Amino acid sequence: MTAGGAARSRVLVAALGNPDRGDDGVGAAVAERLAGRLPAHAALLTRRGDMLALIDDWAGFDALVCVDAAAPLGAPGRIHRLDLAAEKLPPELSFASSHALGLAEAIELAHILGLAPKTIIVYAIEGACFDGGAPLSPEVASAASDVADRVAAEVRRLLASDDGPAIIAAY
Amino acid sequence: MATKSILVDYLARVEGEGALDLHVEDGKVTSAQLRIFEPPRFFEAFLRGRSYAEVPDIVARICGICPIAYQMSAVHAIENAFGAKVDGQLRALRRLIYCGEWIESHGLHVVMLHAPDFLGFPDGIAMARDHGAMVKNGLAIKKAGNEIMQVLGGREIHPVSVKAGGFHRVPTKAELAPLAEKLKRARDLAVGLARWVATFPFPDFEQDYEFVALRHPEEYPFNEGRLVSNRGLDIDIADYDNEFEERHVAHSTALHSVLKKRGAYLVGPMARYALNFDRLPASIQALARDSGLGPVCRNPFRSIVVRAVEIVYALEEALRIIADYERPGEPSAKLEPRAGVGFGCTEAPRGICWHTYELEADGAIKTVRIVPPTSQNQPSIEADLASVAASVLDQPDDFIRHRCEQSIRNYDPCISCSTHFLKLSIHRS
Repeated sequence: MTAGGAARSRVLVAALGNPDRGDDGVGAAVAERLAGRLPAHAALLTRRGDMLALIDDWAGFDALVCVDAAAPLGAPGRIHRLDLAAEKLPPELSFASSHALGLAEAIELAHILGLAPKTIIVYAIEGACFDGGAPLSPEVASAASDVADRVAAEVRRLLASDDGPAIIAAY
Repeated sequence: MATKSILVDYLARVEGEGALDLHVEDGKVTSAQLRIFEPPRFFEAFLRGRSYAEVPDIVARICGICPIAYQMSAVHAIENAFGAKVDGQLRALRRLIYCGEWIESHGLHVVMLHAPDFLGFPDGIAMARDHGAMVKNGLAIKKAGNEIMQVLGGREIHPVSVKAGGFHRVPTKAELAPLAEKLKRARDLAVGLARWVATFPFPDFEQDYEFVALRHPEEYPFNEGRLVSNRGLDIDIADYDNEFEERHVAHSTALHSVLKKRGAYLVGPMARYALNFDRLPASIQALARDSGLGPVCRNPFRSIVVRAVEIVYALEEALRIIADYERPGEPSAKLEPRAGVGFGCTEAPRGICWHTYELEADGAIKTVRIVPPTSQNQPSIEADLASVAASVLDQPDDFIRHRCEQSIRNYDPCISCSTHFLKLSIHRS
C-alpha cells in the first residue's frame, strides 16, 4: 500500500496487476502517476496477487476505485469506465486467475457477504502484450497518464458527493 | 460391446490446467487418465549457472500458493551441500513461515475450493449465500496465514526474505506480538471450521494407500525428517533416488513419480497425519477424534477434515513459536560455498517437495532436480478416479463427472507446480 488506509480515508484506489508482465503493469503505472496527487481521505494501494485479499483491503472504505489491465479487444490503450452500481464487469474484459479468485469474483463474494463498499468504479485499460519482462505498450503507457488524471478527478468527485464515494476499479 | 467416454475438459477449483479422460467398456472402467497439458516450465534448466544466493527468489516463482515449500527445500539442500546447519531461532522462524503457508493454502482450499463439493454448490461464491459466516471465517483464517507470510517474508505472495542460511531480516519480538493476537482469533475460528467440515456427507470410500511423509523424532514435520511410509520405507532424504523414480507418461507434461518396488504412493495431509499422529499435541489429537478421525484416515474425501485439523495445528504451532521467540543476533548463518551435492525435502501443504542441487566451488548451480508433491500424487489420483468411477457407473454422466472432479479436488492439486484445470472425458464402450 503506497498510502495507508487511514481511519478517516473514505475512498480507496486499488491499482492491480503485475508490473513484470507487460501491459498487466498498467495498474502500477497509474499508481506511480497518482503518487502525491490524491486528496486527504483517499488511499492508494497496489496489489499484484491474490484478489481475495482485496476484500480486507477495502474494509471501512465507502468507495473503491480499481485500475487494472483488460484483455485485448482490438484497441490497445482503450479505457473502459464501469460503475458497478449500474452494470456488471463484462466477462470479456476480465482475466481468469488460475491461482485464486479474480477481481470480479472478489467483488461478487464481497457483495454476498455484505463486505463490499457502497460504490465501486473500475477503470479497465485494454492491453496488447502480457509477456514476462515486456514494457508497457506505447498506447497503454499513454493511457496510464490519462487514467491517472481521470481517477484523481473521480476521487475528488466521490469525496464531494453527498452520497459518499463508490468503488472504482481499473483493469 | 458397450462403450462410454466421459470427458472433463477443464477441472474447476484446482490450481492449473488439466483434463480427465475416463474410458468404460462393458460396464468396467478400463482407464482413468489425469491429463496435464500445461507446458513445461523449465525451472531446473534456467537455474543452471545461477548463484546459490539467487535460488530462493527464483524457485518461489514456481508457485503462488506454496512458494515457501520451494524456498525451504532449496535452502536446506544448499546448506546440506555446504555442510551448514541452521538451528535455534532461525530454524524456529522457518517453521513459523511454513505455518503461514499451510494456514493460507489449506484455508483457501477447505472453504473456497473443496467445501462446495460436499454441500452441492458450484463454487465458494454460491456457497457464501447460504454459509456466509463460514466463508467469512475461512477468509479470516486465510488472512492470518497471509499475515505470517507478510511479517516474516516481506510480502504474502512470493516472499522475498528467505535466503540460504536464514533470512535477510528477522522480526523483533514486538513485531510478532500483534500477529499472535490475530492468530489466537484465527485458531478459535479454525476449531469451528474443523467441526463444521466434519459434519459433511462423505462418500463411503477407502483406498489402501502407501502413505509417504517426513517423520521427525519430536515434531509434526515441516522442514526435516526421514522419509517413511506405512509399508516399511525409512530412508534418509539423500537416498530418495534409490527408492523412487520419475517416469514420463504420454498423457501428462508432469512426470509421474512411483516407488520402484510398489508403484503409486500418497503424499500430503493424509499421509503426514497417518504417519505422524503421535507427533501432534494432545489437544489436536482430541480435536481430530472429535471431528470423526481415527489415527489413520484412508477416505480421501475426508482429507478436508485432515486439512482443517492441520490448520488448527499450524496456528497452535505458530503461537508456540512466537511465545518462545527471542530475536537472533544475526538474521542468517554465514555460509562457505563449496563444491558438492545437497538434498532438501520439506512438507509442502500438498506433500513432500524434494530438491537436489549440485553446486560448483563458487556456489554456482551445476544441476538441479525438483520433485513437486502433485507429480508424486498423479498415479494415486488416477487410481482413485478408476475406483470412484467404478462405484458410480450406474449413475448419470453428470453425477460421475462431478464425483470424479471431487476426487481430484480431494488432493488440492497444484498442477502448475507439477509442470493447470481439468477436462473430464468419459468414454464408454
